[in-house]
Amino acid sequence: MRRLAELSGLVAPVLLLALVGVVGTFTSRSVQFQFRFALVMAAIVIALYVFVGSSGVVSFGHVSFVAVGGFAAGLTTVPEALKLSLSPDLFPVIASAEVGNAASLAIAAAVGGVFALIVGVPLMRLSGLSAGIATFAVLVITNNVLRNWEAIGPGARTLSLVPETTSFLQATVGVIAVAALAFLYQRSRWGRVLRASSDDPAAAQGAGVDIYRQRLLAFALSGALAGFAGGLLVHLLGSITTQQVYLDLAFLTLAMLVIGGFRSLWGAVVGALLVSGINSLLLTAERGLDLGIGEVTVPTGTRLVTLGAVMALILLFRPTGVTGGRELTLR
Amino acid sequence: MKDAAPEARRRPGESLRAGGVSRSFEGVHALDGVTLELHRHEVVGLIGPNGAGKTTLVNIVTGFDFPDEGDVELAGEEITSWPPHRRARNGLARTYQHGRLFGGLSVRENVEVAALGVGAGPREARRRADELLGLLGLDAREHASAAVLPHGEARKLGVARALATRPRFVLMDEPAAGLSEAEVPGFAEVVRTVRDEHEAGVLLIDHNVGLVLDVCDRVQVLDEGRTLAEGTPTEIRRNIDVTAAYLGGAHA
Repeated sequence: MRRLAELSGLVAPVLLLALVGVVGTFTSRSVQFQFRFALVMAAIVIALYVFVGSSGVVSFGHVSFVAVGGFAAGLTTVPEALKLSLSPDLFPVIASAEVGNAASLAIAAAVGGVFALIVGVPLMRLSGLSAGIATFAVLVITNNVLRNWEAIGPGARTLSLVPETTSFLQATVGVIAVAALAFLYQRSRWGRVLRASSDDPAAAQGAGVDIYRQRLLAFALSGALAGFAGGLLVHLLGSITTQQVYLDLAFLTLAMLVIGGFRSLWGAVVGALLVSGINSLLLTAERGLDLGIGEVTVPTGTRLVTLGAVMALILLFRPTGVTGGRELTLR
Repeated sequence: MKDAAPEARRRPGESLRAGGVSRSFEGVHALDGVTLELHRHEVVGLIGPNGAGKTTLVNIVTGFDFPDEGDVELAGEEITSWPPHRRARNGLARTYQHGRLFGGLSVRENVEVAALGVGAGPREARRRADELLGLLGLDAREHASAAVLPHGEARKLGVARALATRPRFVLMDEPAAGLSEAEVPGFAEVVRTVRDEHEAGVLLIDHNVGLVLDVCDRVQVLDEGRTLAEGTPTEIRRNIDVTAAYLGGAHA
């Protein structure tokens, strides 16, 4: 019974994600893309939540892990000749690597996790504001390295012709796998002691918790999940540029987490899906939305202005997010 | 064994010792050459007026602060520069004057997390929580949020959480503050249980001098960062200096 009550925290997010996956398949082709995109966004936001929700430390840098995961999965599934035509200086090992869809996702997760681990070794010693700023620095550095170092990727050019394998099935199964891992982690002893340490770091240390080590573990796991989500993203879009996985995406995913509620898995899922919905709607409206009573067009930029405003209002009036930072459980 | 003299309960090597500890904050001597020794199977009281340096000493012993001079030894090993989590994993636990509970967690989770923190498995953590919530009389509140506990229960939870790490030594910083007079004898019994059944050494800091004299095997009196007196509760009760410094002073 205890087990069942604990598991119920996973049921609601999984059901909601599965519902979105199923409903999406019955929509028109262009709307289908929006649904799959929402599922991939949910995977990114859940990955971000694994670190932010447990440690209480904000990270602006997780999109770096999405970026390296995305490029890793893309570069390992595009033919060698195409890669070399984009970037003749590519390291031979990257140029010649060609694997299947599943293996590319595994590589994306590994690259994201290892990168986060390396970055985390110095960064996880920081907390509060300095940690937040340092993760932002990671995002900027990663973006510039990816954009300029043509031995590891296409540089500023678009990596295209990536197999579009993120079908509804792959997006749904992928995001549910990410949610399940996030849930297992938060119920694990490591997840539990880290969450306690975000309530009171001193008391947690007094109870034997090595906060640095626990944060590093969460950061690496979170980086691996973000890398995996980056793999899903590149296989959804079929192409990727460094600017697609930079500031806009960092802002959007952080807004999703804050709006949903950064303290619970349910909050991460609800935030990602809710904001994706609003986002798609506004995006359509910017191009002209037919409401049946006439077409409505909102000015370009309305989308980001609205998102920013919603995030600010949530922070002001409901800092725990629309879900109150709670899991939806039987209790 | 309960009737044996404190000396007989001691085991060699099973001691916690702060030797010649001094600590200043911006030129003010909070501690000035204080030595404190605590053995397993004994309760030592640490009393003195506010500002005497009691909490500073606890902070230094548990690794939340570091001495300007002097050292800390645990079972003969020097641990002066160890971080708090390492000390906790080696059997040193404490409670806090201001509670410092995990406010986002339930009462039960507070206890379980402390057991997990020192490396116990989830099953063992549940077992310890069952036992300790019972010992402290918090069973009925196990699902309540720790953030909403009344003062007295919060202190008890602090003690339960410290004990969940299965310590060899527990430093209790004003654990009885917020307890009603009627609850004090029950709490004294808890302290004896920790000594006799959990086989831990207890350092008890409290302003309730009656409780301290009643439950402690030895008492050390601090004033202005120095040891003013130490001895058995009977000796301390007779000590006139102490009366002047503490018992006669305002119960601030």
